[in-house]
Amino acid sequence: MRTKRKKGVNRVRLAGLALGFIGFLLPFFIQFDGLSFAGHMALGIFLMAASFWMLEPIPIYSTSLLVIMMQVLLLSAQGPVYKASSLPETTPVSLQENLWQVPLSALDGNEAVYIRIDDKKTARVEVQVTEIGVDVAIINAPGLSEGDVIVTESGHWLIKYRAAHYSEYFRTMADPIIILFLGGFMLAGAAVKYNLDKNLTSVLLKPFGKKPMYIALGLMLVTAVLSAFMSNTATTAMMMTVVIPITAQFPPEDRFRTALALSVPIAANVGGIATPIGTPPNAIVIAALNQQGISIPFGEWMLLVMPIVIILLLVSWFTLCYLFPPTLSEFKLKLEGTFNTSGKAITLYVIFALTVILWITEAQHGIPSSMVAFLPITALTVTSVMTKEDIRSLPWDVLWLVAGGIALGVAMDNTGLATWIVSSISWETLPKLMLLLVFGVVAYMMSNFLSNTVTATLIIPLAISIGTSGIAGEGFNLIITCIFVGIACNIAMMLPISTPPNAIAMSTGFLKTSDMVKVGIIVGIIGLIVGLLIATFVWPFMI
Amino acid sequence: MSTIYILCIEDEAEVLDVIVNDISALEVVFPIEVGVTANEARKVIDEILENGDRIGLILCDHVLPGENGVELLVELQSRPETKETRKVLLTGQAGLDATVKAVNKAGLNRYIAKPWHKEDLVEICREELTSYVIKTTTNLLPFMGILNAEKLSEAMRERGIPSDA
Repeated sequence: MRTKRKKGVNRVRLAGLALGFIGFLLPFFIQFDGLSFAGHMALGIFLMAASFWMLEPIPIYSTSLLVIMMQVLLLSAQGPVYKASSLPETTPVSLQENLWQVPLSALDGNEAVYIRIDDKKTARVEVQVTEIGVDVAIINAPGLSEGDVIVTESGHWLIKYRAAHYSEYFRTMADPIIILFLGGFMLAGAAVKYNLDKNLTSVLLKPFGKKPMYIALGLMLVTAVLSAFMSNTATTAMMMTVVIPITAQFPPEDRFRTALALSVPIAANVGGIATPIGTPPNAIVIAALNQQGISIPFGEWMLLVMPIVIILLLVSWFTLCYLFPPTLSEFKLKLEGTFNTSGKAITLYVIFALTVILWITEAQHGIPSSMVAFLPITALTVTSVMTKEDIRSLPWDVLWLVAGGIALGVAMDNTGLATWIVSSISWETLPKLMLLLVFGVVAYMMSNFLSNTVTATLIIPLAISIGTSGIAGEGFNLIITCIFVGIACNIAMMLPISTPPNAIAMSTGFLKTSDMVKVGIIVGIIGLIVGLLIATFVWPFMI
Repeated sequence: MSTIYILCIEDEAEVLDVIVNDISALEVVFPIEVGVTANEARKVIDEILENGDRIGLILCDHVLPGENGVELLVELQSRPETKETRKVLLTGQAGLDATVKAVNKAGLNRYIAKPWHKEDLVEICREELTSYVIKTTTNLLPFMGILNAEKLSEAMRERGIPSDA
């Protein structure tokens, strides 16, 4: 049995690898109308990344690195492709005042030629064609003057695309949003090191008493709060150690065990929506909006999504208690925790509190959250709260994954690829509500099977280009669409593979997949509906 | 992920039944295999290893027909595939020499004297398997429900923060 399963996995990997290579090479053999040469290369990179991310022949973070490497090599001005190439030139033959003879190939659509400024740069000059020969044309061009050199090929790949400096692509690895996440990771890492998360859990759970239903509610609220600042996965792993001893008090046939085991991953997934640093898809959304010059302050993000987070938590709680009612009327919650009171731990508490306060009050003091994030990064190392070893154990792979996602978005935008992809659909005929729904449903479906971050990476650039190209017509709100897509990515929790928290809950052995699917679908659909309603009727007045 | 087995070696059928019965709660995650002699145990071990699976825990009697238990444990300690396997001697008749040898040469982890209490046996098995999975296994979560959750979660926290990729 086992060997067969392994073979199946290998076949998927092999297929992913093959598909990735074919996808990468495809645009080099097929010419797509309306897509620049650089767009073709970006398409190749996009297809490769999508195949690799979806079928995972290599780890998803290494796909991200591959994306950045390919972009530096193929799309940057310093890469071998653009560095070696220079614009083919010719000097137009002056016939009379304003009348020139030029090669036919120099004409762009019979209305313009390109003056060659240097071997990479051009300027467009409007012309009127007076006569066309076999391979030359006579043009009337007041914009041309004696000594100008023009480009012989109007379709040359350097004309429509200005290759970016390679540091544009490397820069994504230190994008402000990456720094923001690094700050979050440092705080979370220190919190785990000094058991702040565990002790907070004990304190916060106490007021919820002994009634099973209220304890479930308490577990969900505490999980959500923690996962808003820590990774959903780390929160779930920690909370599961609280939940497992509780479930042991219930008789094995009591269905409430299922409710408890499911409450944690659901609350962790939902809680991740609550802040920009809650989970990586939020980073993709914010980074993409930043690229368009739109900044979303930390506190504003929280305000926007808070209604959805609260409604979803309550809905999930009701659903769990309704589907899996407890048989015990009360049970003991063994909670012990004494806060670490060493100097370093206290330093951590102060830095943690200060950072969170500065993040939430961004609108008041105006210091961007990424800048604030450098406070814990610096302060925790200066004070030796976090040591070299602790820093090494941070999840750097997530930062690289997100960086690759941002880089892909940058290239899709720069090369016109994103616009080209979305322009094949006549979006303006779709009602705005429908458009949001389509994006949300597609993101939700994909995210159930793929990493949430990967889904956001693949979909957000398309949403961005619909907004910036204006093809969706009036009333399309870029911010609303992107945040909604981000939420749709985060509420996909139907299957054990949908998110790492689900996998954790599943691996404890208390759950049946069918229960997870049932609750996951209910939460997902309600989440989409609530999100859609709030995005349509509430957000327009808040943004 | 490969399956982790528990191996019980005991020549008296009734005693073997009691052992397997006592620790049956662990069988959901850790399948139990048995052997009556050292030779038979060796065959079972080879089969498990050939399948790409592992042996997490051996409960071994000392006095067996033919080769004795301690000799088998010493041999397993020298095999790389079974070096990390937790080794428990469950016996009433191991002399001082054999016991010393088991500790020094077989890396014996525990000694349980017959007769034993069921709770003690189960607890020792859980603890030993906990140590085994912490030492050898990347994903500790599947064991949280059955082994020492506290120790497992400590081990996971020391390994670094799991991420959301």
